Amino acid sequence: MSINLLHRHVLEDYISGFETDPNPNHVAVSRRPVIFSVLAHRGQETAVAEALGSAHGVVLRFCSPSEWLLVSRTAGPATVAGILSDIAGASFADQSDGRVLMTISGPSVRNILGKCVAVDLHPEVFAEDYSANMLFCHVAANVARSGPDTFEIIVPRSLAGSAFEELLEMGREHALTRGFSD
Amino acid sequence: MTSYRLASGGAANRGRSLTFTFDGRTYKGFEGDTLASALLANDQMLMARSFKYHRPRGVVTAGSAEPNALMTIGAGARSEPNARATVVELYDRLVAVSQNRWPSLKHDFGALNNVLSPFLGAGFYYKTFMWPALFWEKLYEPLIRRAAGLGKAVMQADPDRYEKSWTHCDLLVIGAGPAGLTAALAAGRAGARVILADEGFRLGGSMLSESAMVGGMPACDFATTTVEELATLPNVTLMPRTTVFGWYDDMVFGAVERVQKHVATPSPDLPMERLWRIVAKRAILAAGAEERPLVFGGNDRPGVMTAGAIRTYLNRYGVAVGGKVAVFTNGGSGYRTAADLVARGVDVTAIIDARPGSADPVPQGIRVIRGGSVTDTRGWHRIDGLIAERSGFEEVIACDALAMSGGWSPVVHLMCQRGAKPVWSDEKQAFMAPDLGGAFVAAGSAAGFDGLSDCLKDGAAKAHTVLESLGRRALPLALPRVEGEYDASFAPLWYVPGAKNKAFVDFQNDVHVGDLGLAQREGFRHIEHTKRYTTAGMATDQGKLGNINTVGIVAGMRGVSPAEIGTTTFRPFYTPVSFGALAGSARAEHAAPVRTSPLAGWARKNGAAFVEAGPWHRSAWFPREGEKTWRESVDREVLNVRANAGLCDVSTLGKIEIFGAGAAEFLDRIYCNGFLKLPVGKARYGLMLREDGIVFDDGTTSRLSENHYVMTTTTAYAAEVLSHMEFAAQTFWPELDVRFVSVTDQWAQMSLAGPKARIILGRVVQDDISDAAFPFLAAKEVTLRGGLRARLFRISFSGELAYELAVPAGFGEAVADAIMDAGHEDGICAYGVEALNVLRVEKGHVTHSELEGRTTADDVGLGRMMAMQKPDFIGKRLSTRFGLTAADRLQLVGLKPVEADKEIRAGAHLLKDQAKPSLANDQGFVSSACFSPTLGHFIALAMLKSGRERFGEKIIVWDGLRGTEVPAEVCPPVFVDPENTKLHL
Repeated sequence: MSINLLHRHVLEDYISGFETDPNPNHVAVSRRPVIFSVLAHRGQETAVAEALGSAHGVVLRFCSPSEWLLVSRTAGPATVAGILSDIAGASFADQSDGRVLMTISGPSVRNILGKCVAVDLHPEVFAEDYSANMLFCHVAANVARSGPDTFEIIVPRSLAGSAFEELLEMGREHALTRGFSD
Repeated sequence: MTSYRLASGGAANRGRSLTFTFDGRTYKGFEGDTLASALLANDQMLMARSFKYHRPRGVVTAGSAEPNALMTIGAGARSEPNARATVVELYDRLVAVSQNRWPSLKHDFGALNNVLSPFLGAGFYYKTFMWPALFWEKLYEPLIRRAAGLGKAVMQADPDRYEKSWTHCDLLVIGAGPAGLTAALAAGRAGARVILADEGFRLGGSMLSESAMVGGMPACDFATTTVEELATLPNVTLMPRTTVFGWYDDMVFGAVERVQKHVATPSPDLPMERLWRIVAKRAILAAGAEERPLVFGGNDRPGVMTAGAIRTYLNRYGVAVGGKVAVFTNGGSGYRTAADLVARGVDVTAIIDARPGSADPVPQGIRVIRGGSVTDTRGWHRIDGLIAERSGFEEVIACDALAMSGGWSPVVHLMCQRGAKPVWSDEKQAFMAPDLGGAFVAAGSAAGFDGLSDCLKDGAAKAHTVLESLGRRALPLALPRVEGEYDASFAPLWYVPGAKNKAFVDFQNDVHVGDLGLAQREGFRHIEHTKRYTTAGMATDQGKLGNINTVGIVAGMRGVSPAEIGTTTFRPFYTPVSFGALAGSARAEHAAPVRTSPLAGWARKNGAAFVEAGPWHRSAWFPREGEKTWRESVDREVLNVRANAGLCDVSTLGKIEIFGAGAAEFLDRIYCNGFLKLPVGKARYGLMLREDGIVFDDGTTSRLSENHYVMTTTTAYAAEVLSHMEFAAQTFWPELDVRFVSVTDQWAQMSLAGPKARIILGRVVQDDISDAAFPFLAAKEVTLRGGLRARLFRISFSGELAYELAVPAGFGEAVADAIMDAGHEDGICAYGVEALNVLRVEKGHVTHSELEGRTTADDVGLGRMMAMQKPDFIGKRLSTRFGLTAADRLQLVGLKPVEADKEIRAGAHLLKDQAKPSLANDQGFVSSACFSPTLGHFIALAMLKSGRERFGEKIIVWDGLRGTEVPAEVCPPVFVDPENTKLHL
């Protein structure tokens, strides 16, 4: 007997039925990104960071001096696991189901995020490709700048509904729309 | 004559008329008016009744320090009490109602208090309502509160939204008057990130009120031009209607923005108010200076106002506060007010100058009484005359308004909120801002400069200094020429002698000079004591107008300098902030984040009732049709698990992935039991102690490969355990190669328990899970039919044959559905945390009800787990302390009621048979209790003195809360399958 198992995104209840054309300020949720936690063992931090930096098809999100999130929208989990297995001094765990990735963009993005995080996101301080762990709407999140007016936010799955609702509330005055990106 | 709107002039938009009501009467005002200026334009001078004596009061100021003109704005749920009419921006259909009067503002019954005032001096209620003590709370206080008071809060829920936001800048400029504008301009042109915040709805500060010419145009136009330039700079953020109310650690400023307070129909997409937390590298306080009232007899009569306020109403709003205005002054401000009034055609009856002589220019034809004073005023709802006195000669001068000026006090409040005290200056006769070392400086009149040109210059100069300290260079600012400036200097005059009537120091709290004297006589001499005894400087205005006069008068009474008296303590908030703004969006369902299990959808489908467990919402039980109480559902679920099988969501348990060659050694030290020899593919129950030998947490840890483990923790302690491990790894044993990461959110985890668990699971899992291939405590990766990789653990909390299956969270619901389908024919049921709890109590397993921060491993019957032969583990040393090994410690036991139908409840205490309830007779307590459907009666786990020696003894379970005593038998804590036969099926 084979069982057909359907994958369900935690934010489906928050997005289904609300699909509209995106406004200038929009938050897009990725359905099945690949996200891994990567840990560098003692003394291997620099080597692991360098090896991760040169990997193709993945982006690196800084969590702490020896911990990153590796994100890919193109490579599959097996491919990413393969890349990671080849890096000496690194351990990793698949978090693709444990994290929710959303991309918020638009002209008011910093005003909206100012209500969600306490960190200065001015481009002089938090430039493109910067990322850090921070409190986002009461939830521990990783926030990265992926463009002049675009940020990627990664939150734990169990708290994603709360954080997403709060983000939408904070985006109300800027007519923030929502949707899945794929 | 009366107060009226001049035919022209002012910055209010005369092209847009607005209708509003005050106490039910309809009035008209203009866009750009405050409620106070619009009321004055309509000759409504009487605006309030005073706090204690219910004296008629008019407006005194034109700004945020207003003590008198407090009103309730808005209707229904949007009513806001104690709004200051001087800062309420007029909007169409605004509804304002006066406060603290009955039956009407004009005829207030409470004014009887004024007649009784000789008996109502400072501290009267402390002395009067002393006996009987019980009456204070029940009778006196409610009565006094009703008689004296401010507005009333409404009981409806606030219909509006509120928000909080962070923002960051190089320079925060507080106040958009002359100094603030040039400071912001200098820094803005230099490219710094600047925030310019002002409490007013129009930026410009005092420049909107003054008649001087700046840069060849009226001061007001110059302010507008400067604001327009600032608005074009992308690095400058203008924040009107924003009060910076507090200065906090690390240069964080609190501010509240009134986003929609001035809007007739608020938008649901915008907050009513927004609370800002502004992180500034540097800040300039350009909050200006407050004009002091003079303290003379009858100085609270409606129509007596500060000279500056009269200028503001005249120049900014085009409103003359009277037709015949007298001036009482000790400095230049009074002369300027007289000159501005005369220029706009308003009659000035006399200038009474307390100084014997001065060089201030006198408007042509105006009489000046030098070296004179005012000893009383006349009129009831409005002043109609004053008594001027010079050298013993008294004269009645008719007037319908009186401008008073007692000099200026820099507004230094914010700079003193973190402990620094303001510094007295003999030269300025004022308290000045303390030196805070450059990160936060005062500029303009907040720094003691009087003249407009000096303020413009100082703002730019302070901005340059600040920019330099940030490593930025600014070009010098070309300062505009100022024409028609006046000399604002003054001679100190704290108290005008010869008062023939009450001379008020604190208008809002009805504190007069006599009260201050009484406080000194009765020993409340320290200024903080004087404040509490007299209430000077309390309530919503916190003494903005009166405090410095209070200090000056007390200094005069004591014959010392005000420097010796000092000020009371400045604290946030500068002006009142609504609770709505402080709460922001954190109310109702947004008050705290909710954690949702990946199996929540599955639980809902199966009809679960949920329970809040910290942030988690966990499925508690699954009622079926016909079940009337939760107990019926739970009993059915328990019996079904023991007879067939059940599926329970255990995803909320903490899950930590552990890596590294040092992981085995690390686990061996972090747990009190041995972990070094745990084989790959096996799980083990582990018990963690705190350093002090008390149990910290428990759970299972499984070895997935040589250097890779996964640990589970309890739901409640998931984060604490991870921190504990990080701390131990980083500080105790940095030599161990071990790393961790939480994977709690990655996995949906479900417990399948019951004698039919294996049969059902076999239909879902591809691998061989026979007892031989997958024995008790096996822990391995498996493949589900259909190809999904999962983790399977053969562990049991219920005492039954049981498995925990972990699958990636997104598949959780589908896998749980598949197991329910696969088990349908075998009678599987969903069960919740209530049944889970009954199952574990029946089996005698402990949770945080027993591991509650006071118990040792031995207390809860797990003493044999402590591997004392290990060289070390956390808690080893201190667990051997005498107190922790004493024979009479409370030990875990089971309890059964002697009469089978009797109920035992958790929290009840234990007594020896025949003993009376008392602390001395206390033998322990019930930690967990439930009805056991398996045994058909209540059972309990309890902590009992020397409990393990007392099996078979009859004791009393005493529930003082419900007044019951139930005889119970002490027994071993394992009620079901003590031989563990079911685990190895």
